[in-house]
Amino acid sequence: MLEQIKSQTQKRRKFWNEERKEAFSGYLYISPFFILFAVFGLFPILFSFYLGFHKWNGLGEMEYVGLQNFKWILTDPIFWKSLSNTLIMWVLGTLPQIIVGIVLAYALNSAIIKMKGLFRVSIFMPYVTSTVAVAIVFGVMFNSQEFGLMNVIIGWFGMDPMSWSTSEWGVKVAISTMVFWRWVGYNTIIYLAGLQGIPKELYEASVIDGASVRQKIQFITIPMLRPIIILTVFTSTIGALQLFTEPLIYIGRSYREEGITVVLYLYREAFANLAFGPASATAIILFIIIIVLSSINVFITNRIGR
Amino acid sequence: MKKWWMLLLTLGLFMVLVACSDDDTSGETSSDEGNTSNEEDASGGEDQVELTFWVFGSAGYDVLAEEYMEENPNIKININEGEMEDVHNNLFTSISAGSGAPDISMVEVSNVAKFMEASDRFYNLYEYGAEEIKDKYLDWKWQQAESVDGSFQLGLPTDIGPTTMFYRTDVMEEAGLPTDPAELAAEIDTWDAYYEAAKTIKDKTGKPISDSPELMFNAIRDQQESQYFNEDDELIMEDTVKEAYDFTTKMIQEGLIGQNALWTPEWGSAMEEGSYATLIGAPAWMIANVKGNAPESSGKWSLTTIPEGAGNWGGSFLTIPAESEHPQEAYDFIEWLVSPEIQLKSFHNNGLFPSAPEVYEDEEFLATTDEYFSGAETAKIFAEAAESVQPVYMGVNYSIANAEIVTALTNVAVEGADPQKEWDAAIERIESQLERQ
Repeated sequence: MLEQIKSQTQKRRKFWNEERKEAFSGYLYISPFFILFAVFGLFPILFSFYLGFHKWNGLGEMEYVGLQNFKWILTDPIFWKSLSNTLIMWVLGTLPQIIVGIVLAYALNSAIIKMKGLFRVSIFMPYVTSTVAVAIVFGVMFNSQEFGLMNVIIGWFGMDPMSWSTSEWGVKVAISTMVFWRWVGYNTIIYLAGLQGIPKELYEASVIDGASVRQKIQFITIPMLRPIIILTVFTSTIGALQLFTEPLIYIGRSYREEGITVVLYLYREAFANLAFGPASATAIILFIIIIVLSSINVFITNRIGR
Repeated sequence: MKKWWMLLLTLGLFMVLVACSDDDTSGETSSDEGNTSNEEDASGGEDQVELTFWVFGSAGYDVLAEEYMEENPNIKININEGEMEDVHNNLFTSISAGSGAPDISMVEVSNVAKFMEASDRFYNLYEYGAEEIKDKYLDWKWQQAESVDGSFQLGLPTDIGPTTMFYRTDVMEEAGLPTDPAELAAEIDTWDAYYEAAKTIKDKTGKPISDSPELMFNAIRDQQESQYFNEDDELIMEDTVKEAYDFTTKMIQEGLIGQNALWTPEWGSAMEEGSYATLIGAPAWMIANVKGNAPESSGKWSLTTIPEGAGNWGGSFLTIPAESEHPQEAYDFIEWLVSPEIQLKSFHNNGLFPSAPEVYEDEEFLATTDEYFSGAETAKIFAEAAESVQPVYMGVNYSIANAEIVTALTNVAVEGADPQKEWDAAIERIESQLERQ
């Protein structure tokens, strides 16, 4: 008996050696995040994979239906419409962002501009405003009446008033504008950091060689900024695919086809139609799409990085 | 040694974090001192019962709850106010998850069927004495929250939304139509007469008779005995609301109806401008909207009965989710809150129209006039409308069908699309969504 206890304490002592203690306390330190993530992140993710193969209205019994949900979603023209909407808004929102962002960053970085701090803060401001507030304000600007701000502005150019919130391109332009306005400052700041990382000597050398401003931008700034540009394209791709708040507020709960995005489609499926199975299936499909696009991104990045 | 202190501190912080994120027992996060002060309360050492109450819209229940708490010091009511859709979504998610539901929740009539399907997650109010007060309320209103076999009562009725016709007196005058409520109601007594009046108004003033295709459609839809679904939840729109749709789209195509979507800023500003003649199918709770959107137009609005009998739009019920630990206290409170005399208060405070007919006999109530509405006898007109409403089965998928019809109407109004094509496309969209449930 005594022998046994002895050997056990020895074992225990062996188990709790210094290294193990270190490791254990280390894991304890990082545990809060992982516990919270497991409860609020990991479980819902796994559960929606499970739900994707079931039929469930949120209350009753779940019924296994195999791939039926995916079939429904993939044969639903509105799903494809929502996907194309999302991609169009991604292009409309992201391309101008990159171009304008670089130009703004270049301007902020030049020696001519005074009060740089003020400009930097004010350009970054849109990023920290509430998305809902932004969507409401832009919704008023893009209202379909003749006296709507945007309709007055395009009227100066001799165009007829548009019904922004119901027409095919009006909705997309309005929502892309919101996305652009919100993110352009964020990207500008990132580009600015990138610009400041470019060694001055390169510019000095190019001036000695007699390079014009355009050549400086084309042969020094853009190539040196390439990794940063890739980063912003990367983040805005994932962001754009998850576009939800702006269209929800702007087109309201009418879920009109012109402005429905993939996430909005998913939301309608789950919370308006109580079809949690198809909604989860949509989430899985979106997940796959994001993986594919991100992989392409990584592939291109690696090619360029060499 | 230091390390262990740090570890304890981290764990302590973590505990606090967890405690903070647990918000469905508000008031318990405070330290023990709070509890002792509670016992020294005026309630004489009685245990305090806390009730959480979810509401939407500007019902003014916060003021009434204060009054109730003064009368019953052992009850504490915490009100959470949210946007209508959000309250329903939160309620749905919490009863689905089996945690986080309030003691009392307001449920709007178009959502009743959805929660009726989950009636096992709610207390049957018949078990708490709802049978005794049943006769105080309008039959059709009471039935909306009763199970088909009549054994289960989901909620107690709050207000109702009998529909009437609001109109701009200045536009009517310009068009040479009567501005007195009784005379105008005699002039526009059928939908055909309404159509004729629309043409007159268009000729004389250039203004449409209504600015909202959706309201025009709703006005006629709400008069039908059944709307989108029958009691077996089969889609029957073709036989019930197609007429309303055809009438509305015909008016749109002739330029007699505007393009504003409900609840948009431009819809609100049109009320102030008087850019149209009638706000058709408007229930009592719309009064607050008009006054809020058009503060300067007092005396330019009036109201009268709607042609061909009133329908009902909106109105709510108070339900008690099965999670509540104090169903009896919750029931006592809601019974008080929907009692005729308190409903009368709600009407005077917030324009919520009572669902208890005995109030309609109240002299003071009937004499209610509204300066804003050119001194029209608002209560009397709504009370008359309320008596003629028929009970309608809405069905669990009401909002799906309605959203698609609104889309079709908008396409006809704004894009100039072909009405029949849009109708067929809407039916197709509704059916594809229904088969997935």
